[in-house]
Amino acid sequence: MKKVFFVASIVLIAALLTAGLASANGGPHGGYTATTDACAGCHRAHTATGPNLLTASSTYDLCISCHGSTGSGANTNVDDGYYLSTRDDSGGDWNHGAANTPDNAPLLGGGFVNYKGAAVTSSHVPSGTVAAAWGNGVARGATANLADGNLTCASCHDPHGSNNYRIINETVNGTAVSVTQVDEGAAKDYNTEQWADSSISQFCAACHGAYHVTRAGSGTDNSDDGLGNTDYGGDISTFAHRVDMSYSYGGNSNPETVGVISGTTTYTLPLAASGTNNLVVCTTCHLPHGTSATMSGVAASNPGPAGDSALLRLDNRGVCEVCHQK
Amino acid sequence: MREPEGMTTDPEELQEEEKDKKKRRWLLLLLMLLLLLLACVCWLAFRYARQPEPLPEMLPVDVNYPPHYLFSIYGVDRPVGVAVSPDGERIYVAETGGERLVKIFDREGNPLGSFAPPHTTPAQRSPVYLATDHLGRVFVADRLQNVVFVYDEDGVFLDAILGPELSLSEYVAEQVDGFQPEDMFVFNWFEGVYYRPASPEEELAEAAETAGPEEGARLLPIVDIAKWGPLGVRFDGEGRLLLTNTSGDHYVCVVPVEALGATPWRDFNPIPVIFGTAGQGDGQFLFPNTAVIDSQGRFFVTDGNNGRVTVWDREGNFLFYFGRGTGEGAISLPRGAYVDERDRLYVVDAVSQQVKVYDVSGEEVGFLFAFGEWGLDDGQFNYPNDIALDETGRLYIADRENSRIQVWSY
Repeated sequence: MKKVFFVASIVLIAALLTAGLASANGGPHGGYTATTDACAGCHRAHTATGPNLLTASSTYDLCISCHGSTGSGANTNVDDGYYLSTRDDSGGDWNHGAANTPDNAPLLGGGFVNYKGAAVTSSHVPSGTVAAAWGNGVARGATANLADGNLTCASCHDPHGSNNYRIINETVNGTAVSVTQVDEGAAKDYNTEQWADSSISQFCAACHGAYHVTRAGSGTDNSDDGLGNTDYGGDISTFAHRVDMSYSYGGNSNPETVGVISGTTTYTLPLAASGTNNLVVCTTCHLPHGTSATMSGVAASNPGPAGDSALLRLDNRGVCEVCHQK
Repeated sequence: MREPEGMTTDPEELQEEEKDKKKRRWLLLLLMLLLLLLACVCWLAFRYARQPEPLPEMLPVDVNYPPHYLFSIYGVDRPVGVAVSPDGERIYVAETGGERLVKIFDREGNPLGSFAPPHTTPAQRSPVYLATDHLGRVFVADRLQNVVFVYDEDGVFLDAILGPELSLSEYVAEQVDGFQPEDMFVFNWFEGVYYRPASPEEELAEAAETAGPEEGARLLPIVDIAKWGPLGVRFDGEGRLLLTNTSGDHYVCVVPVEALGATPWRDFNPIPVIFGTAGQGDGQFLFPNTAVIDSQGRFFVTDGNNGRVTVWDREGNFLFYFGRGTGEGAISLPRGAYVDERDRLYVVDAVSQQVKVYDVSGEEVGFLFAFGEWGLDDGQFNYPNDIALDETGRLYIADRENSRIQVWSY
């Protein structure tokens, strides 16, 4: 009983402390007052059947009640990776994404079931059943369980709102995270990168730290294992692509605006902090939710499951060609 | 004179004989009645064996108790919408998992078929709420396609509603000279509108230059209607189509029955009644899911993200709301709704894992009871989303994360 009371108190205090914090897009994610009646929307103080005093056992199932393909409670359809149709939002105060996001635009984070009209070939699985993350405090190519238990939507996002970009948690996998975003104003755009700096990479590194290599020349210098072990750490045998660097390669000044032209299709990759201050970050090449990029031939030969697309944005190794154009 | 053998003139014997005759007649009559009764019983037994169904619910509204669980229909993947045909013999289910089809079942839960918008892939469609009209046609709101698809009772595509005042066949007719009802036309928001005439050779020759899902089909540009994205679909007793909209603005759109005659609707010019805007105040919605109507003509709209049901008069003027907050009858996340013949409003509360029932027969709304709880067993829900009733008192409830339709009855 004491434990229940303690948890309930923590929830109440958390709700009060977070009152007035930023919301992703209106709705139930923030804006609570001291006498809010919103708690009962998802929680039961004494009759909860799921952890965190939720009314059901699965966080993912709760989230997709609004954010699933039905769009019954949100326009951000994370199952299909679409921002559902907006159809003009002149004067709509409660549909903030509408003004800046095109109809049925692919979400910048990708999708968990489909993306751009095709089934995903790799995705994070937030259903609470997968616990291990690649490079989570261990060498690249190895996995380790998350500090906070299995992966759910709430592992990365704070459903009560946060001061962080896209209501990202301020602590992820036991690591403090603060992702800075470009000021979108009231009307948000879920189809264009809004990362103001390299802090989005720190968010990924909270679980995949071994891949967060920022040292210049890391492609030929394997002394940085991404885990703070600068003196020949656990990844002595592997090299890694550098991130959080300004993009500058050959004659292509910015892959956001040039890209590779293949036939009639132009491929581009998003950078943080557009323009001359641009930065290559983890999400330049990878989609955090899931991708439908297809892998074939040598590109399908990963350490992971056969054909796994490793959350890459483009087919095969298109992400390499956009910048390097070999 | 000698009496004929076997005959008597004795008055006593004659009287006795007459009594016997009467007795035999009565016995014969009784036997016939018993035979008739037996025949009736046999006929009823035979009828029940062929088509078992519960007796119509006969209780007055003031005697209210929850229904009981009967059985579940499986073979669906994360269903979110359910509807019953006018005769109660077919159950239509919209699923958001797997192939994302609309599946048809009989009353016993046996599969009868399935259908989807022509020439769409599972990743291109998302059927949500659906309803049947008095003709048996099935109206399905598709959240990714942003239209209401219309099919016949077997799932044959008939037409689509592209906007409050525009049908697909009307749009195609505007784009193509000589459009005939027999011509093929298909809507796919991600690709375009495919049109192929039934016969004219010159049209076929012209269309053959354009690639499409059908050989010889012409690709027409997609039409994009501002502030249009249908979600909830219901019909009222007058045959009007009650839609909810969550794109651009949040409102209810009532399409008059006159506009919904025989398909295709080449002249789709309804004067819809539209009410509500997006917001949290009186007369506003945040993701209205379904709109239903009671015997007084009042609209009841499940105002999803506002956690309440809003009530509107016949003309679409806001009256009041209920269900917000905590306590008995409070609603967390209202989704599908239905009003039965006794003015009982059923509201599926997805997060509470319950169906909540209210008496709306009077001016004010009274909470009656709730049934269901979270779980995986029979009679338990895991994010229920929609409900439909038939005239025999059966309730069909879309139990999303348990991937089944639960059948309840009184």
